[in-house]
Amino acid sequence: MGKRVLVVDDDPDVRLFSQTVLEENGYLPVLATNGEEGEEAVKKEKPDLIILDVLMPRESGIRLYRRLKTNKKFKDIPIIMLSGIAEKSFLRSQKVLTEFGGDPVPEPEAYLEKPVDGDVLADTIKKVLG
Amino acid sequence: MFWLIRLKKYLADKIKKGVAVNQHNEKTMVIRKMLFVTKFEELGFGALQSLLPLRKSALEHVIFMNVIERDRVAMQRGVGYKKSEERKLREQANIRFIDWAENLFEQGMEVGVYIVVGNLVPQVIDAAEKENADLVVIGRRSRKMMEVFYSGADITELLSRIERPVLVYKNRVDSGSVSEKPFDKPLLAVDWSPASMRAVEYLKNFKDVIRKINVVHVASRKELKGTSNLDIQQLRKEKREKLDKICEVFAANGIEARSHVYVGDTIEEIERAAGERKSTLIVMGSSGKSVWAERWIGSTPRYIAEKSPFPALIIPHGGEN
Repeated sequence: MGKRVLVVDDDPDVRLFSQTVLEENGYLPVLATNGEEGEEAVKKEKPDLIILDVLMPRESGIRLYRRLKTNKKFKDIPIIMLSGIAEKSFLRSQKVLTEFGGDPVPEPEAYLEKPVDGDVLADTIKKVLG
Repeated sequence: MFWLIRLKKYLADKIKKGVAVNQHNEKTMVIRKMLFVTKFEELGFGALQSLLPLRKSALEHVIFMNVIERDRVAMQRGVGYKKSEERKLREQANIRFIDWAENLFEQGMEVGVYIVVGNLVPQVIDAAEKENADLVVIGRRSRKMMEVFYSGADITELLSRIERPVLVYKNRVDSGSVSEKPFDKPLLAVDWSPASMRAVEYLKNFKDVIRKINVVHVASRKELKGTSNLDIQQLRKEKREKLDKICEVFAANGIEARSHVYVGDTIEEIERAAGERKSTLIVMGSSGKSVWAERWIGSTPRYIAEKSPFPALIIPHGGEN
């Protein structure tokens, strides 16, 4: 049975794109449209990998990332960030949130800036999941 | 009427006790989450930056919203639904929001985004409810500019239907630029209605943002008719004393406040007061009249929101009507 990959993105085109790439490569996609839904899906589906957008309604990927990476249960789930937000802005925001008194968080397993080729996404997933 | 009087008394008692009430049953009314509705031309990054001092108060989450009007992408004979146009407009909005969001994320803020197709007012209300936004910011270009991005009808409808504070942002008439600190020196126009009292409750939590607040009441000429000089002075004194009580609420919360009584046409005098006091913002409680009533009877908050050159913060009536 293929590994379960959770895609958290508010853009239906990106969800469809990621879903197609995942299915073609033998993974089981689980889809969520924002950070809140994403967190629920993490608890319920226990995915092997998360592909996470940053800029979304309800809750951004930045906050969800922090919560997952500081939670004993979920911190070992690898996360590929897939976003239009630049990697340096993401890393800077995490640094600032840590400076404000949050727990330090590691860098994501991979960071891909949108738009991304299907092959690049598939290769990154393969690499991250080993 | 009975319940209106009871409600007024209840809110006045709350103010005396220094206890804040709001529609979300929170202890204090603060701006944690701001819904920033833009079409870019009238509300840009400069406007957003001018509101960031609200972080000193409680602001931590900004939600960007762009509503693509239906007629820009709607079905047309021979063309059908303009899906590619919608994509293009969405992508244009997204690119701008990403740039703004990077800036806010790097400051440790939380950011969200809505890019939707539809009618402005229902979409804004829907997003404000979903996000539980404490403040909705919407733009209106200065009167000197030809193009009006949000029609008066939209602003009237929004103010009538939404149960959340709305800031109608305006570029400065003289330069078209934005006010650097809209909350720096607001003018609060009060008539002691429940909505006015809610505005007091709202503003008193902004001590880190407001430098000085001028509290104004405009007495109508009707109130002066047939009275002697002594009566007029007595009326002014009474109003002034009532205003001073509001100023005491602000002072107790660390905000410098001054009271002023004006006499004459409400709208004209509020604008005059705002000009004389070099106000950065006019704050008012909204009447809560229906859209129909607003169109036929008119309303001071609506006029100030739509037509005044000053940015306007309209605090909702809270259901007393």
